[in-house]
Amino acid sequence: MNSLIRLELTRALRNKKFLFFSVLYPAVLFLIIAGNADDTRMDGTGLTLATYMMVSMASFGALTAVLMGNSERIAKERESGWVRQLRLTPLPGRGYVLAKTAGAAVVSLPSIVVVFLAAAVIKHVRLDAWQWLALTGVIWAGSLVFAALGVAIGYLASGDAVRPVTMIVYFGLSILGGLWMPSTTFPRFLQDIAEWLPTHAYAALGRAVEESRAPHTTDVVVLAGYFVLFAGGAAWLYRKDTLKA
Amino acid sequence: MTTTAAPATSTEVVGFDQVTKAYGTVRAVDGLSLRLHPGQTVALLGPNGAGKSTTLDLLLGLRQPDAGTVSVFGTTPREAIVAGRVGAMLQSGGLMDDVTVAELVGLSCSLHPRPYKPSDVMARAGIAQIADRKVNKLSGGQAQRVRFALATAGDSDLIILDEPTTGMDVSARQAFWATMREQADQGRTVLFATHYLEEADAIADRVLVLHRGRLLADGTAAEIKARAGARRVSFDLEGTVDAEALRALPFLTALDVSGRTVRIQSADADATVHALYGLGVYPRNLEVAGLGLEQAFVAITEAEEARQS
Repeated sequence: MNSLIRLELTRALRNKKFLFFSVLYPAVLFLIIAGNADDTRMDGTGLTLATYMMVSMASFGALTAVLMGNSERIAKERESGWVRQLRLTPLPGRGYVLAKTAGAAVVSLPSIVVVFLAAAVIKHVRLDAWQWLALTGVIWAGSLVFAALGVAIGYLASGDAVRPVTMIVYFGLSILGGLWMPSTTFPRFLQDIAEWLPTHAYAALGRAVEESRAPHTTDVVVLAGYFVLFAGGAAWLYRKDTLKA
Repeated sequence: MTTTAAPATSTEVVGFDQVTKAYGTVRAVDGLSLRLHPGQTVALLGPNGAGKSTTLDLLLGLRQPDAGTVSVFGTTPREAIVAGRVGAMLQSGGLMDDVTVAELVGLSCSLHPRPYKPSDVMARAGIAQIADRKVNKLSGGQAQRVRFALATAGDSDLIILDEPTTGMDVSARQAFWATMREQADQGRTVLFATHYLEEADAIADRVLVLHRGRLLADGTAAEIKARAGARRVSFDLEGTVDAEALRALPFLTALDVSGRTVRIQSADADATVHALYGLGVYPRNLEVAGLGLEQAFVAITEAEEARQS
């Protein structure tokens, strides 16, 4: 299985377009949004706009890498028959999904780090060492939720449907979850929706680290709930696909 | 015409027992029983829709039978694959994009419990010179060779090939079968599906004819062709046609007289035509043509139906 992971990685790193969008794009977007931010604190937090958006964009970058990396590739490889071909090898059934997720996770790590670098070097965001480490860990681990979602979409949609479905989910979760702009700027009813979205809870965990406080239980529960939902859905869809050959 | 079920032995490679698989109301495989033994090169012959691909899917555990059992080396197909005893290339088997041929073959070797060296595997499959090419830039015939390399990445005892020469030109086809014969010569069991009668004829020492999910015939290529009536002979006769005399011609498997036109199917056209002249008649517009596989199937099916009624 390690050999498959290795090959998935080589291939992910070879895909320049994918690398640009998942590694550089979030950092660029961060610099644009935090462009001429001053030191005003954001509503309800003790964070500056740059610090606030750093977590949003790092989360967004990780989301891009794992969601896009999994859904479209899986749908395409299911269709091409590569998934079938792999089932003729001793590779365990889950191995394919795990390799895909590992491949996506390796791309998501630099996308997080590049946003952090841009924030620290260009926007002079300062945090304690433990906070940088914890942030990286939390955002990286949290991206597994969306990796599972990507797998589920990859097994659910096929052919022409997979890209639009992924895009709708991707932009819907990013924007409504408040990754692009703070959800506090939304009208009331949208804020009510946003609070229950996995992306909102995901970024909230990172912000808790920045404010050096324990995360809200609601956010942890929401994110864990979505993980169970997505991973369960992915497992179910995977099994259904296997029976269908 | 199914092989009689023998007690399962440790030397049995594949065993199908009353296997049925339906898609909706269509029975793709219908009560199929067969056994494969070590060292055989077996052709699975049938027109499109005969159930070849479904049979191979069942054999490889990609689909589960609705009824009956499938065993490979006395275990489930999946266990046999995990043990590295089966190598397979499927028509529907895709290849990984954005990687080179060498990387893909390397992956396949590393997944096999008893792998060969990737360079050897590529040399044997005739793809050494395209090792650095991207998999998505291959021609149809090259991709088939890469699939073959994936199926022979390690020391497997059974090689399954689903219409392996699709997309190859004649010379590539010949080179491919030479490669495959080496596999068989090493004592492996090879099962390949094809709809080319010539391939079955030239390569296989056992031919299974599948039609509508049933095993219609099981024997050597010569036996199958004899049953199908290998050649068509047609001619016009002047004057009265003595159907009884024609029916007595040697190697004749079917006779159709309409007006003065006579159509014959013969297992040995040379002998039949020779005897025809011996009847003292003068056939005009004599034509001798090979029987296509489709027609061979019609011939076998008709014979089967006639036998049952």
